[in-house]
Amino acid sequence: MCPTGGPGHDGPVTTTAPPAGVRADRPPLLRARRGRVLGGVAAGTADHLRLDPVVVRVAFVLLGISGVGVVGYALLWFTMKAAPAGYERPDRPPRASGRQLLGLVALGVLALALSSRLDTLTRGDVVVPLVLAGAGLAVIWYQLDTERTDARSARWGLVVGVLLAGGGLVLLLATTGQLANARNGFVATVVVLVGVVLATAPLWRRLLDSRADERAARIRSEERAAVAAHLHDSVLQTLALVQKHAGDPAQVTRLARGQERELRSWLYAPRTAEGGTWAGRVSELVADVEADHEVAVDPVVVGDLDVDDAVEALARATREAVVNAAKHAGVATVDLYTEVTPSAVTVFVRDRGAGFDPDRVPEDRRGLRDSVVGRLQRVGGTATVHTAPGAGTEVELVLPRRTT
Amino acid sequence: MTAPLTTVFLVDDHAMVRSGVRAELGDAVEVVGEAADVAEAVAGVRATRPDVVLLDVHLPGGGGRAVLEALRAELPDVRWLALSVSDAAEDVIAVIRAGARGYVTKTISGHDLRDAVARVAEGDVVFSPRLAGFVLDAFAAGPAAPVPEPDVDPGLDLLSAREREVMQLLARGYTYREIGQRLFISVKTVESHASNVLRKLQLSNRNELTRWAVDRKLA
Repeated sequence: MCPTGGPGHDGPVTTTAPPAGVRADRPPLLRARRGRVLGGVAAGTADHLRLDPVVVRVAFVLLGISGVGVVGYALLWFTMKAAPAGYERPDRPPRASGRQLLGLVALGVLALALSSRLDTLTRGDVVVPLVLAGAGLAVIWYQLDTERTDARSARWGLVVGVLLAGGGLVLLLATTGQLANARNGFVATVVVLVGVVLATAPLWRRLLDSRADERAARIRSEERAAVAAHLHDSVLQTLALVQKHAGDPAQVTRLARGQERELRSWLYAPRTAEGGTWAGRVSELVADVEADHEVAVDPVVVGDLDVDDAVEALARATREAVVNAAKHAGVATVDLYTEVTPSAVTVFVRDRGAGFDPDRVPEDRRGLRDSVVGRLQRVGGTATVHTAPGAGTEVELVLPRRTT
Repeated sequence: MTAPLTTVFLVDDHAMVRSGVRAELGDAVEVVGEAADVAEAVAGVRATRPDVVLLDVHLPGGGGRAVLEALRAELPDVRWLALSVSDAAEDVIAVIRAGARGYVTKTISGHDLRDAVARVAEGDVVFSPRLAGFVLDAFAAGPAAPVPEPDVDPGLDLLSAREREVMQLLARGYTYREIGQRLFISVKTVESHASNVLRKLQLSNRNELTRWAVDRKLA
């Protein structure tokens, strides 16, 4: 029944239960991270053996009285692999409650009291320091074994552990009358240790440096991989398409422009690329129009704001105005300027194309009237069209901002 | 043009861009030299003393700004025109603040580029719509936090209403001539508004402008 630490893998390790015929579907022997009391050894073992963790814990405590349980527990803690970060325990992931911990401690103390009464009481003065030192060690291990980044509480836990362990050690030495000897030995050890650390300092230094270098190199190569992935998905694909359409200048121009805009937004304006702001909406709608029509639009955006329903309507109206210019002006470029001020959002869509006589637009051509003017009026904005035959067209959209 | 041809020096790290620009400039100007990085550019411009330097914003060895900072005081007669594909506002504004007289994107048409070079050679300022947008953006934070600094002319920190109007029309794609017609002022007046704005952009060291650049960098 003695738990002997196996060589530290998740195979069948001899523990408190008969190991014969370990079924293949048994969960692996891993130290549990959740629901643990100390190192997760008991919980992990219980998972592996399909027992209640409480049973295993009680067994460890009882065995601990004779010392075997403590040594076994420490060995297992050392050798059992910790469960990986996202590991879900097979069944019943109960929280190890404080009450359970208290119960276990009480059980331990009681058993200890009984056993020390049965044992020779003379050794009782050694037991207390030993227990103290053991508890301190356990606390230190517990703190060092977490992956918590909550450094503050971990540090305090460590301090408590070191104090406990140190106190226990001193007490042990004092009760056995070895304190003076130990002090001499301690001083000698410290001197030797300091000497060794100083002598090997360059080595440590180099080790630390190379670790930092490795880290930096890894980060660099990860970044490089991300850039390569992006370039592959975008630029290289577009270049392949460009080669395919080499005979079609209009298509090539469109591809190049689309790619240029995509790359720009990736390089310089990650925020606008996410959308949700006016500038993001503008670059989206420009991309849309450029994809559908043979026209180049160079948007100039001053200021920015979040998109709400009214701004969305403005974006749609803007899109319609740009499409109109692309369709009817007969020019290759359209200017789009928009400015966000504290009182209003203004948009100017301008082309140097054919222009038209606003009074002679046929009744059935409703693009501007409905999609632009009507849409904006519904959200409290205004749209004005300045045009004349041969003088180009400029559509001015104004959306007053609600004062909040 | 009565005077001999305008001499132009090209600075760009891509040979393809240089030859493309050279082809677009054509016979209208005389290209006296090319350079691909900062050191070459400084040496070349110093040796040839061109009328206009077409300067890429992004260059190996410190960017166009480094070339400007090295030579601007030494060669006050040379005019600089920034030429870039870069959309990063703070880069463009940095080159303008270092002394460039204008900024155009590399997608500019050959005709517009020749026009821009000619205007810069005459001492004018060239605002592309995009640069006008950057300027408006930079000065937009405006009167919200008027922190008067003792030794700085407070006028430098704000655009006048007229200057704003001119910048807005430039951003909308209007030419100087169209702006003049629209505002009922002469082209010369439009030009002087534009160079005033450029001067403010270069001389103003108000907090707003620096903070704006920092914000853009973080964005």
